[in-house]
Amino acid sequence: MNLWQFYSRNAHEVLGSVGQHVFLVAISTGVAIVIGMPLGILLTRRAGWRPAVLGLANVFQTIPSLALFGFLIPLPLIGGIGARTAIVALVVYALLPIVRNTYQGIVGLDPAVREAGRGMGMTDWQLLTQVELPLAFGVILAGVRVATVVGVGTATIAAAIGAGGLGVYIFRGVAVVDDTLILAGALPAALMALAADGLLGLAERRFAWRGR
Amino acid sequence: MTVGRSDGRTVGSVILAVIVLLGACGSPGRIVVGSKNFTESDLLGEIVAQQIERRAGLAVERRLHLGGTFVCHQAITSGRIDLYVEYTGTAYTAVLKLAPVQDRDSVYRAVAAEYRRRFALVWGRPLGFDNTFAILVRRADAERYRLNAISDLARVASRWHAGFGYEFLERADGFPGLARTYGLRFAAPPTAMDLGLTYRALADGKVDVIAGNSTDGQIAALDLVPLQDDRHYFPPYQAAVVVRAQTLARYRGVAAALAELAGRISDAEMRRLNALADVEHRDIASIARDWLRASVP
Repeated sequence: MNLWQFYSRNAHEVLGSVGQHVFLVAISTGVAIVIGMPLGILLTRRAGWRPAVLGLANVFQTIPSLALFGFLIPLPLIGGIGARTAIVALVVYALLPIVRNTYQGIVGLDPAVREAGRGMGMTDWQLLTQVELPLAFGVILAGVRVATVVGVGTATIAAAIGAGGLGVYIFRGVAVVDDTLILAGALPAALMALAADGLLGLAERRFAWRGR
Repeated sequence: MTVGRSDGRTVGSVILAVIVLLGACGSPGRIVVGSKNFTESDLLGEIVAQQIERRAGLAVERRLHLGGTFVCHQAITSGRIDLYVEYTGTAYTAVLKLAPVQDRDSVYRAVAAEYRRRFALVWGRPLGFDNTFAILVRRADAERYRLNAISDLARVASRWHAGFGYEFLERADGFPGLARTYGLRFAAPPTAMDLGLTYRALADGKVDVIAGNSTDGQIAALDLVPLQDDRHYFPPYQAAVVVRAQTLARYRGVAAALAELAGRISDAEMRRLNALADVEHRDIASIARDWLRASVP
């Protein structure tokens, strides 16, 4: 059976898996943004925390996903088997680029801009929301872009913990010596990563231009 | 002056090392042993590697933990590895894609003949043990519901959750046939997950029944109970070395070295060796060395 026959026979099921995959990536990247951006901003205010936080995010990246799942299964609330556990793992992996780029984006701004804001009598909150974040947005978005693209690939591992997604075809294909099945999962995942990269790249360019 | 000389010597020894390394890569006297990506296969790969080293006196390169059946089969047919340990039932159903059969001798004969004809691969004599699928439950559940055999499972299945590895769910000798043979219907479709994680999920009560391997060291360590295959659903999975015919023809000592291992590892022995690695975390090379010294002196 070739790939196109497989898709035409299993169109419904494949679309379901694509939906699951998008869901896993969207939720995990979203949660990583909600946690990672404030964390990155915090680091620009508390320079002393930087080595600890970035170091921890770095270490998280290095934990193999199967090992991470192994640790998560017995935990209450965030553990068990299924989509929730997979999302927790994906959030852990997506944090680093978002935290780092938020921090770098703000720290890398010309100090004169910040001084000018202060000189105009801006509070720290005003400085952050009206000067620093808008100017750093392009860099922060670049971090989100990296996290999303990497997340599309990483989300295939969700199939190892019963959370579905396109990884299911890859795992099934590897298990039974079937290249068609492996491609059936890998191809849409690759296209999805390219699409996410392209879209977020467009957004990034827009904001970078506006920031200037 | 002295500094210059020692520098020159360092450069010289680096160059020499590179030449030696390059030479070793292309050297003809090198056998490559592969294994699948689980402990038992790594252990057997290491045992076979050490046996060839000490009996045939050949240099052996280890490519252990390569991947699943698929990866190892690709590696050996393309000549990247010379040999690895495979299971008759797996080769019969997963590689040759034949319908499962119960008779162990006919499975072995069919596999050996087809491998030679199609891939120029030779099956050595079986090592002695069978690594069949084991349907596992927690001991507490087995005692509470008096479960001894898989057919007892039908009574409680409707309230239970199952977690299976992808290979078991997909294979012709896996879950669909098992469910048919025993009339199993679980509360929900089985959760598909990584095989290693199913053990953890069972031990932590996230699922109630899994399909492991009968020789796993974890079965005893996690206090799990294998249910008897009372309707003889699973085909035989005898372990044996698969080796390229070309390799056997080229290195005369290999066949004799491998023949010494035939029938030497019983089911209980394999479980013990797996437990040494998985439960007691002993180094695979030392387990293999000790076993060879004691069992194949």
